[in-house]
Amino acid sequence: MKRIRVLIAKPGLDGHDRGALVIAQALRDAGMEVIYTGLRQSPEKIVRAAVQEDVDVIGLSSLSGAHNTLFPAVMEALKKADASDIPVIGGGVIPQEDIIHLESIGVARIFTPGTPTKAVAAYIQQLAGGSSDSAPPKRIEHIGIAVHSIEETASFYAAAFQLSAAHVEEIPSQKVRAAFIDCGSVYLELIEPTDDSSPVAAFLKKRGPGLHHIAFEVSDLKKRITALKENGFPMIDEAPRSGGRGHSIAFMHPKASGGTLIELMEEGADDGHVRETE
Amino acid sequence: MEDFRSAYETWQKKVKAQIEKRPERRDSFQSTSGFEMERLYVPDRIDSAYIAKQGFPGDFPYTRGIRPTMYRGRLWTMRQYAGFGSAEETNRRFKYLLDEGQTGLSAAFDLPTQIGYDSDDAMAEGEVGKVGVAIDSLEDMEILFDDISLHEVSTSMTINAPAAVLLAMYTAVAEKQGVPPEKIRGTIQNDILKEYAARGTYIYPPAPSMRLITDIFSYCRQEAPKFNTISISGYHIREAGATAVQELAFTLSNAKAYVKAAVESGLPVDEFAPQLAFFFNGHNHFFEEAAKFRAARRMWASMMKDEFHAEDPKSMQLRFHTQVAGSTLTAQQPENNIIRVSLQALAAVLGGTQSLHTNAKDEALSLPTETSARTALRTQQIIAHESGAADTVDPLGGSYYVEALTDKLEEEALRYMDRIEEMGGAVRAVEERYVQREIQRAAYDTQKKQESGQEIVVGVNQFRTEEEPQPDLLKVDETFVAEQKARLKRLRETRDQKAVDSCLETLRETCLSGANVMYPIKEAVKVYATVGEICGVMRDIFGEYNG
Repeated sequence: MKRIRVLIAKPGLDGHDRGALVIAQALRDAGMEVIYTGLRQSPEKIVRAAVQEDVDVIGLSSLSGAHNTLFPAVMEALKKADASDIPVIGGGVIPQEDIIHLESIGVARIFTPGTPTKAVAAYIQQLAGGSSDSAPPKRIEHIGIAVHSIEETASFYAAAFQLSAAHVEEIPSQKVRAAFIDCGSVYLELIEPTDDSSPVAAFLKKRGPGLHHIAFEVSDLKKRITALKENGFPMIDEAPRSGGRGHSIAFMHPKASGGTLIELMEEGADDGHVRETE
Repeated sequence: MEDFRSAYETWQKKVKAQIEKRPERRDSFQSTSGFEMERLYVPDRIDSAYIAKQGFPGDFPYTRGIRPTMYRGRLWTMRQYAGFGSAEETNRRFKYLLDEGQTGLSAAFDLPTQIGYDSDDAMAEGEVGKVGVAIDSLEDMEILFDDISLHEVSTSMTINAPAAVLLAMYTAVAEKQGVPPEKIRGTIQNDILKEYAARGTYIYPPAPSMRLITDIFSYCRQEAPKFNTISISGYHIREAGATAVQELAFTLSNAKAYVKAAVESGLPVDEFAPQLAFFFNGHNHFFEEAAKFRAARRMWASMMKDEFHAEDPKSMQLRFHTQVAGSTLTAQQPENNIIRVSLQALAAVLGGTQSLHTNAKDEALSLPTETSARTALRTQQIIAHESGAADTVDPLGGSYYVEALTDKLEEEALRYMDRIEEMGGAVRAVEERYVQREIQRAAYDTQKKQESGQEIVVGVNQFRTEEEPQPDLLKVDETFVAEQKARLKRLRETRDQKAVDSCLETLRETCLSGANVMYPIKEAVKVYATVGEICGVMRDIFGEYNG
């Protein structure tokens, strides 16, 4: 397999290169080829080097507070060089609000102090591999709603919107019954606990009935879970399990998303049994 | 025993003289139990090794401190590094810190200033006013020190490649306040070797850079004898990842290279060495750090005496500033940083620092806010006034542990220095990237230890908590950049351009002739030539260093 090539660059005048050098060494140890630009590189120079060296990923480092000027300038220079397909990641002393801005203009990811180098290496591997485990989810497949009684809630949707439950089944692994209401492109999943020890029962007790989770459809769930874990995202399910309708699913911990419970599901991957963990 | 008696008596005489000159802060220093704190604690059974290795404070080899009474006479200078945005804004922060009880100033310049570019230079894009204050001309410097008496305050300036330019501006501002250069007190960092090795704000190649430094030594010896001409810095070497031993070894090797260069340029050692100062890092291992400062003093004293045959005790006394380690601050659970800073600062005080900067808790996230900067200052005020650490001289002296660590650090650092000597000295070692490689190796080693959990970083690889939202962070007002550029444009339109051209021409000739560049630089800043223009002339002639 071709080795992943990474350009580590220091844009602007910042001379703090400890982080850049440590990352460069760690990526080399992870089997990648790393080109380090040295200090004081202009955005144009960085892009030229990236194109010439035919790198898979560009990593930018800045600790001087100039990231809001320099990182966008690199993105702009990439566009001009018709090289926007090279993903860019960044690192340094970068406040949260700037991270949101930089990621909105196309920087793939910003890593802040304290990030293990392994997480950076794993992320680059995904980026460069272009593998399915890093692609955005295909769609929201369903929205989960916790209810005390499926029948009561289903009758509301039927009366108000003429929507009817297409499919009801019991999912023993979660101690729930679930009804799926087809709303065109997205299902509503009404979930009712079958036992007091069900996580949904706990949810109802704590928060009452209502929105419970959203489910993203992805491919290759198993790999996706591994990648998320390597990137430091906390998972509730560390291996796929049965989610009903023959699909396999896994929940992420809501603390990662700021309070929303996210389910990942892969269509038709469940053979009816809980999969063994690795 | 005879040695000890006479040494003890000499010390007591010195104490008496010192107290007559400057009484101690209190008539008596007492613990909470009412015990009288003695000025100095000494072993009750003396061997000759005590005199040779530790001695009395204020006596060679200065292991126990460079003054006979240390902090009982005068506390260290509390000097918080500050600067961002415009000269106006930084002037306000300076005054705020002085009002809060800070006792010296420390100016942070932005990267364009540090690398010799004006604010309107394309290379400065995005960096103006970010890590420090933007200074383009004497006009900005006048605003920076507006209403601050340069007769009273001492100022440290973190400036290296353009140190000559900023020193010239500082003396010019002082003169306008009616303070002659011989009265100004302060420090310019002016340590280019560690810029190549660890910090990155170099401009010119080593040879002309070393010449600029010796020109400054020579100028200050004549004109500004109270000003520290250099602050030989281990701080940034340590921040870049070095160990305590490496910090000692590389800093003292650099010091040796500067002394050698100055002696070779014809300066007698005792005429410039008293103006050399040092700057160390206050890092995590509490006892090793305290021992490091003690070892540094002993190493410098021996080197100056034995290798350079200094005779003036001032040439052998290592005076140093400490900043606690920015690289140990964590973005996670920033409150924890206050505790880290307290411990690191206490080690520096127990190690006998002359001045101290304590970091603010939010500096892993951005520059400090006014509130966090105040807490940082309060941290050292608490050590000074509440902890009792300043009530006796060298409280750790005689500890089996600390003395053994002091010896070990010295021994290992000397081994490193020998290797650098064999390579042909510090300049050569930096040119061959030996120093850089050694630092990088140590940095990577630390990273691996932290990732494997062998080294615990509280709140990062252990004892993590779900993070609260980030605290209020300082935001530098971006609109000032346009104003800064406009001010510069106005200056260029209104100043006496002929005078500027002529001064820059004189500077060019002086660079080529080998005479002291400080004098033409001083003339150039007085007619408002800019940092970029002056450094530009030298860039043309000296060339640029490519890291």
